[in-house]
Amino acid sequence: MASNFKLLAGKTAVITGCNRGIGKAILESYAVNGASVFACVRKESPAFLKLIQQLSEKNSVSIVPVYFDSRNHEELKLAVQKIKDSKQKVDVLVNNSGIGYNALFQMSPHDKLKDVFDVNFIAPFIFTQYLTKLMVRQKSGSIITISSTAALDANDGKSVYGASKAALICMTKVIASELKSFGIRANSIAPGMTDTDMLSCLPEELISKVRNQNGQNKIAKPSEIADAALFLASDLSTHITGQVIRVDGGVK
Amino acid sequence: MSNKEKYIQVFINSFAVKEKDLVTLKYQGVGTWDSMGHMRMIAELEETFNVMIEMEDILDFNSYAKGIDIVKKYGIEL
Repeated sequence: MASNFKLLAGKTAVITGCNRGIGKAILESYAVNGASVFACVRKESPAFLKLIQQLSEKNSVSIVPVYFDSRNHEELKLAVQKIKDSKQKVDVLVNNSGIGYNALFQMSPHDKLKDVFDVNFIAPFIFTQYLTKLMVRQKSGSIITISSTAALDANDGKSVYGASKAALICMTKVIASELKSFGIRANSIAPGMTDTDMLSCLPEELISKVRNQNGQNKIAKPSEIADAALFLASDLSTHITGQVIRVDGGVK
Repeated sequence: MSNKEKYIQVFINSFAVKEKDLVTLKYQGVGTWDSMGHMRMIAELEETFNVMIEMEDILDFNSYAKGIDIVKKYGIEL
């Protein structure tokens, strides 16, 4: 979104999975809008370090890399400790990291079911548990979970992935209810098909079908999902909580 | 301020109770120590002592006295 305003000036955000796709677009959007960011990724890479250095310099914001494998709960805890040790307020948490998976219900192996839930639901659940303790103390915060329209629509091949993202929506709504008295908001974004690496796990005919069903005859750009995440992080959405925003171009 | 004094202060701040009543204070023993108050107190303790209290300990933390044992587990002398 082109903007002359810095919608997140003075805010600090934690974003998971921001080295590519939707997470990277959110990182870019937040930096452009003046947020300091703890940029969480699985491991260090020259491309990621270059990205955050450029974004930081161009926008005069602090971007601190935080590395952890979300399957490793000890690493996850150390990451939280690093954020906590910075003594910065955490105004925004974006739970973005996740893995895609596409298989028919009767052909979905149990180990894959467990792995997808570990990454897409259990890790953000634990991470949010830790970080909401900081938000409870400061009596403010906006939590954004990146779910999927697969959580809302019964798409073939999405029993595992869609269920993990539906769990995330449920968690988000419960957080919104339980923590509202602490000034904490929680909302989900449900992107439709988006032009990221995750498309590689989908058959080409499905991608074409969705494109054709979409009134705009296109699939989403990651920046279009980031626009919704910017809105929910900003003070433009202070009275919005417990909601799921579909960003799917109006797929029927 | 000693660590014990800090611990006491967290309880006074979180639950609006008097120091003389702390020794026998239990979870849900006063209206302010409900589940929300519990979360607020844990967050305050973590900040005061710069620790991250494990979920099992958050659930076991059912009295002022029990809390002393739990906080000690994190290397805090009380």
